[in-house]
Amino acid sequence: MIRVNNLTFSYGKDKEALHGLDFTVGEGEIFGFLGPNGSGKSTTQKILTGILKGYGGRVSLLGQDIAAADTKELLKQIGVLFEFPYLYTNLSAVDNLRYFASFYPQERVRDVMELLDKLEFKKDYLKKPVSSYSKGMRQRVSMARALLNSPKLLFLDEPTSGLDPSGAVLFRKIIEEERGNGTTVFLTTHNMVDADLLCDRVAFILNGNIAALDTPQNLKEQNRTAQKEPTLEEVFIRYTGRGLEE
Amino acid sequence: MRGSFVALLKKDFRLCVSGGFFLLALGSLILYSCYINLVYAKLDQELFPVYRYDPGKAGGERIAGVTDVGSLNELEEACADGYSVGLHINGDSVFGGKTEIMMVSCGIERLDHIREAYARSLLFQEDKTDALGQAEIIGVNTREMKNRREMTAEVLFFELVAVGFLGVASMLFKEKQMGVIRVHAILPVSRIQFILSKLTLLLSSDLLFAAVLTVVNLGMPEGLKALPGVLLQAGILSLVMALVGFLCAELLPDFKQFSLIYLVIAVFITTPVFLSVQAGVEMEWMRFHPMYHLFTAMKNAYFQVLSAGGLYYGACAAAIILLFLAAGWGLGREMKKEG
Repeated sequence: MIRVNNLTFSYGKDKEALHGLDFTVGEGEIFGFLGPNGSGKSTTQKILTGILKGYGGRVSLLGQDIAAADTKELLKQIGVLFEFPYLYTNLSAVDNLRYFASFYPQERVRDVMELLDKLEFKKDYLKKPVSSYSKGMRQRVSMARALLNSPKLLFLDEPTSGLDPSGAVLFRKIIEEERGNGTTVFLTTHNMVDADLLCDRVAFILNGNIAALDTPQNLKEQNRTAQKEPTLEEVFIRYTGRGLEE
Repeated sequence: MRGSFVALLKKDFRLCVSGGFFLLALGSLILYSCYINLVYAKLDQELFPVYRYDPGKAGGERIAGVTDVGSLNELEEACADGYSVGLHINGDSVFGGKTEIMMVSCGIERLDHIREAYARSLLFQEDKTDALGQAEIIGVNTREMKNRREMTAEVLFFELVAVGFLGVASMLFKEKQMGVIRVHAILPVSRIQFILSKLTLLLSSDLLFAAVLTVVNLGMPEGLKALPGVLLQAGILSLVMALVGFLCAELLPDFKQFSLIYLVIAVFITTPVFLSVQAGVEMEWMRFHPMYHLFTAMKNAYFQVLSAGGLYYGACAAAIILLFLAAGWGLGREMKKEG
């Protein structure tokens, strides 16, 4: 579903962001991409979603090399949840979603009200402008936007950010459901609980290199000490030498 | 593709409505029209005030447009403003005697000559028919219609340069602030459509504004005659300014910096043009100023004079294409930015 070979990218002289990444993500897999700020996560995601060009190496999504593929056709099959809930604050949740839905083929578009209902969006806010929403409500609308076009490939950046615990549980359930329907999920997060609970495999990225790539369980096993099995966060620190927020 | 474009247009329309852009345009239309109809069109001011001191009554009876004064001192006082012109008739007759012209120089030699010639023309009004007889009269403007055309051209130019420019930039800044421009990077919609929808909306709104302003202030028959030329010039200016506003909003990080650029454009770019065209202030470099040509073409369109040639339209088309390409580049740059 995602195949990345020797991916390099530079923002200019002496500003090399990626140093030859290699990984694959299989169909229906939830793949965690973890790393501290500035490690190259966003750059990789931007390349995968076609925002950044001028990279080295080869990237293919849904079986097509993105350098040669019809970007518009590819984007019709991709859903993206950004780190921040970017929405038109003068429009309501419904109007926002109907606007974004208008760019996709009708046969791919899901029912807006059903989606919002699934995300437990408060009904009395449906027609109020987004400017009056809490962060959690905005995150729900953003998630609905990412799922709007029934994507085959879902990019999620900090999906549970700004949600209360029950909201985070709901989001994890929805991500699992999407995977159950055959959607591949590329998850970028700082939240080790999300990564541990959701991901089939995780990659730790540091300074543009993959420091480790395996299932969360294997990574924990490999770093087990006589006293205890480490948490995923402890494993991450062991590989990268840095905390996630550094 | 058509559906996407309509969706973009609808969204931009709602952004304009919520930002009060149409309300501002309507307010400007009412304000400008009231000023033109109630004040400017009724101005009956002479080109330059002319005073005469004629102790021997050699110049005959009262002359329209000339104010008689009773002493030389009074004449000097009246002409001390650098604008008025004084005539001291010293002799038995205007033709045989000596007529001294008195004035404080305005600082522009050519304009001083015009003031002098104007004052003399009032004195020798009987020669006027002969002078006009040498020219082919191709149209007649009453003073009121001249005032109406002149001021309507000015306010339309100002509206398109300052208000239209501000409109597109404020719309884009709002989208930048909300972060939604980045979302369009992952939507199956082209950048060209994103820019075109804004241009279409701004252009339609500016053309409608120009048409209503022209018809309301020039009247139906004259307004309709001038309209094709006016709409062409308004369209060119609207596209140029909308694209400049688009580019500035993309490149500048916040509205504060944009306000500074806005001030530079509104004050330092348009003011010399107004001074040069309206007040006749001589500036050698003015012919290299693109706004000067845009304003002159707009003014000529109101007077139904087709002065702009192929070079002008070629330069406008090239400028619009270049600005469009730059706006596309700026949009791509904005989409790649970090949250």
